[in-house]
Amino acid sequence: MRTLLILFTLSILACSPGPQSIRYGEDACYFCKMTIVDQQHSAEAVTAKGKVYKFDAIECLVQYIIPLDEATFTHLLVADFDQPGSLIDARTASYLVSPNLPSPMGAFLNAFDNPNRSASVLHEQSGTLYSWDSLKENMASNSLMPR
Amino acid sequence: MIRQLLFLALILLLSGPAATRTLHVGPGQSYSSIRRALDAAGTGDRIIVHAGTYQECPVVIDRSITLSGYGLPILDAQGEREGVIIEADSVTVEGFEIRHTGYSYIEDRAGIRVKRNKAFTIRNNRLILTFFGIYLEHARSGVVENNAILGKPLGEANSGNGIHLWYCSEVDIRNNLIRGHRDGIYFEFATDSRIRNNISEDNLRYGLHFMFSNDDIYTGNTFRENGAGVAVMFSRRIRMLHNLFHLNWGQAAYGLLLKEIYDAEIRENTFQKNTIGIFTEGSNRIHYEDNDFLQNGWAVKVAGGCDQNTFIRNNFIGNSFDFAAIGNMSSNRIEQNFWGDYTGYDLDKDGTGDVPYRPVKLFNYIVDQTPETIILMRSLLVEILNFSEKVSPVLTPADVSDALPRMHRYGR
Repeated sequence: MRTLLILFTLSILACSPGPQSIRYGEDACYFCKMTIVDQQHSAEAVTAKGKVYKFDAIECLVQYIIPLDEATFTHLLVADFDQPGSLIDARTASYLVSPNLPSPMGAFLNAFDNPNRSASVLHEQSGTLYSWDSLKENMASNSLMPR
Repeated sequence: MIRQLLFLALILLLSGPAATRTLHVGPGQSYSSIRRALDAAGTGDRIIVHAGTYQECPVVIDRSITLSGYGLPILDAQGEREGVIIEADSVTVEGFEIRHTGYSYIEDRAGIRVKRNKAFTIRNNRLILTFFGIYLEHARSGVVENNAILGKPLGEANSGNGIHLWYCSEVDIRNNLIRGHRDGIYFEFATDSRIRNNISEDNLRYGLHFMFSNDDIYTGNTFRENGAGVAVMFSRRIRMLHNLFHLNWGQAAYGLLLKEIYDAEIRENTFQKNTIGIFTEGSNRIHYEDNDFLQNGWAVKVAGGCDQNTFIRNNFIGNSFDFAAIGNMSSNRIEQNFWGDYTGYDLDKDGTGDVPYRPVKLFNYIVDQTPETIILMRSLLVEILNFSEKVSPVLTPADVSDALPRMHRYGR
């Protein structure tokens, strides 16, 4: 009986909508089709209905999200440059575009959980800092992607 | 006469080649360390490093010399440094085994790095467990040949690229074996380069990967059992000839992935046993000619935004699906291909079928809408559906049609 209960709870938990961990080397980017391997630049979006979209680069998530209504997503997550593999809230992250820190799709875009860290990496590597909103604006005007 | 000859020999000895010397490094040789020999060397000199293990990485070469290993000496980077860094023009590095740069999130450590210079030659080396194998940055007019670059076994996410080009031009990459990296060969902003006769296998992501790179050619390479074979993205005028794309299986696995590329040529390649032979999206003016598509899940899958492409004289044999297309295909030309599933006739015996062939089957359309229906593949129901659609097409696109299907496969 107890086992059943545990199994039942587990199955309920398994069904609850939320972020999924990215299987590096297996999952493909929803936006650009590339296999996701880079744990410092991956990203994820989860809709209110629980559908999960995974991305190999933060720039893919941003380009995907720009034409859509952001409110339909319960989670927007980006990899923390400092803690490879851990996903943080995209809306509160601090972004650094630096010519010395390449990212998978050519935008040189990196995210940091800690704004002090992005500022200090900026100091070491040069570049420009963005918030989520200013990042979207600049990406929409196409000033951040190559060509 | 003899005196004259002697005089001549003396002049030869004293004049021309006196500038270049050969320096020997190793136990019992004139130099005990590579660094000492490098400090003593001048332009054009050759340093021969004899067999042994050398723990003096990174070996920084700042002048135009040849560094040759004799008896495969080992450069051990001891898990925390780069192997060899080339910082001068006209440098050759050959005959070394370079080991254990260690892995890092902060810096892209390489077995051999070429920095901002030209006319380099890197050949006959073995790179074992280097994070990045050979890393070329802002380099041009060089050769990378006959190297074996062996990384981690498949499945470990933290690995660099085997041969990595970043803002390079006119590089020849030939006869290398690359295994166990993120991408076997990676081109970003690399132009006018040639990739010939390499084997790239068991890499985590791609055997070969182009990003923002133009006017390159790759020919005679084998891409086997990689996450996916080759990805060409955001690039122009790439020529792809005589390559083998083999056994790239998996959910996100393609023999060849094309994304937003223009004016490419794909000729005389073999795509065998891949989940998807070629996946193409947003790619225009691509010429696919004389290729063999054998035993793939999907031979060719064309997603949106592909215009003015030509598929001509290809063999499609034993694929579960020969062709899948999403979106308007009317500006693309498909003709004179051999389709293994063609059941038409040839009454005038000119080798070309008298009725057009439509390679997109109804079931194809259903699988695109609902991927789970793949379980019905080869069932009687699906056969009936496909047959009825073939007799009176309703759902399958009319613009995906080969008006001149061949009756016999092309011999190659």
